[in-house]
Amino acid sequence: MEDEGYEVKIATNARDALKIVETEPLDLVILDIRMPGMDGLEALPRILGLKEGLPVILNTAYTQYQESFMSWAADAYVVKSSDLTELKEKVKELVSK
Amino acid sequence: MKNSLKHLSTIIMAGGKGERLFPLTRDKAKPVITFGAIYRILDFTLTNCLNSGIRRIYVLSQYGSFSLDQHLRQAWDVMHPDLGEYIYSMPPQQIMVNRWYRGTADSIYQNLTILDQERPQQVLILSGDHVYKMNYLEMMEFHLQQDADLTVAAVMVPRVEGSSFGILKVNQASEVENFLEKPKDPPGLPDNPDYSLVSMGVYIFKAKILVEEVIKDAKKKTSKHDFGGDIIPHMVGRKKVFAYNFQDPVSRTPRYWRDIGLLDAYFKAHQDLLGASPVFELYDPDWPVRSRPQLLPPSKYICAGSHVTVEDSLIASGCVIEGAVQRSVLSPGVKVGAGANVSEAILWDGVEIGAGAQIQQAIIEEGVKVPPGFTIGVDPKRDAKRFHLTEKGVVVVPNNAVM
Repeated sequence: MEDEGYEVKIATNARDALKIVETEPLDLVILDIRMPGMDGLEALPRILGLKEGLPVILNTAYTQYQESFMSWAADAYVVKSSDLTELKEKVKELVSK
Repeated sequence: MKNSLKHLSTIIMAGGKGERLFPLTRDKAKPVITFGAIYRILDFTLTNCLNSGIRRIYVLSQYGSFSLDQHLRQAWDVMHPDLGEYIYSMPPQQIMVNRWYRGTADSIYQNLTILDQERPQQVLILSGDHVYKMNYLEMMEFHLQQDADLTVAAVMVPRVEGSSFGILKVNQASEVENFLEKPKDPPGLPDNPDYSLVSMGVYIFKAKILVEEVIKDAKKKTSKHDFGGDIIPHMVGRKKVFAYNFQDPVSRTPRYWRDIGLLDAYFKAHQDLLGASPVFELYDPDWPVRSRPQLLPPSKYICAGSHVTVEDSLIASGCVIEGAVQRSVLSPGVKVGAGANVSEAILWDGVEIGAGAQIQQAIIEEGVKVPPGFTIGVDPKRDAKRFHLTEKGVVVVPNNAVM
């Protein structure tokens, strides 16, 4: 993402991510689902509760969470791949909205 | 359970503050206000669920949630969760987001995990402050026949009276073309132009559509997160929205439905319970209304010298009447002293009217003791100084009134 020219803040778990969302001005969040402690589907509504309208992309290796109603609150659901084209395109699309 | 109800989740909205019913809502949730002597307003919606065969119900609570929980426990502890049937009370969990319910739509958004676990195909959304008898199964069948994304139950009102309601403009096929909030010139029905359709706040959604819509709404900064004000108008024209006309299938006249939103509406709905052929019939063997059973002795009428008369009234058990009662509704344990006259009054549990007192057009909260010879509802100027007076002049005496 930095190669694409974006400034990136990294959190290794959802609680740290929520702190960043609360304190830093952000244009977009890329959120994993399976994480230790709080998972991405629990973190998602909290992120939206802190910053209404902040775009969130769920980025996970698993497809099954697409069925979960909780994942529908994200602006996009991108399955992890070595090819980052889809993710980059989604980021570009949502940031420029 | 009927097949069409198998994939249904039912949610009753019961968290509103009911400010327009103040002072009755001063110390309790609006849905648990006494209604019809022995019922609470919420009993009618829950009864509709039970009589329709619905056995899985969530009651979303917020304001005054203890009074609501208490009533659910005392009157509605009738389900067996082990058998997959339940009535659960749900105040804001503050797990998903750190806030109270911002509106009816937000209360669904905050409880998406319930829908995620249940995975229903349809969701029935109801309100806890309406008085009516409705078989939701009939509405469900209509919803499925139309393959609607959303079905809104609606009741006909004369077109000239439509300006104070949310009106649904429908086409010949009952599809909603427009939703108008308090229109100056309400549209009539295609086949009955003298009547307009008023939304009853009773909705059946396709579950997935509901989830999409409440998520979309939760992200909208300008939204008040309300079904009637935001979700429904926003879906009209974009999704398949149908109106289910709540009418008698034979006479095609509107069925009884009242929103108990105002004190005068509360008072008037009580008058609908009275007389030989009341507008709203509680004595209906096909539609038993459930409430909290109370073991009290039978009511007694004592003629100790003064004349005792009771006309066109509902008297609950445990009352002792030594005076005159006309067109009134008396909850359990009310006492009316010798020579007292009670007319067009709603007296809640344990109210005592002293000997010779005169009560007219009044709502008196539980436990109030009116002194002998006292008058309420006779002199509006005096009443206004002591009590709360409604727009139409009904006197409301709260349970902390000093007389």
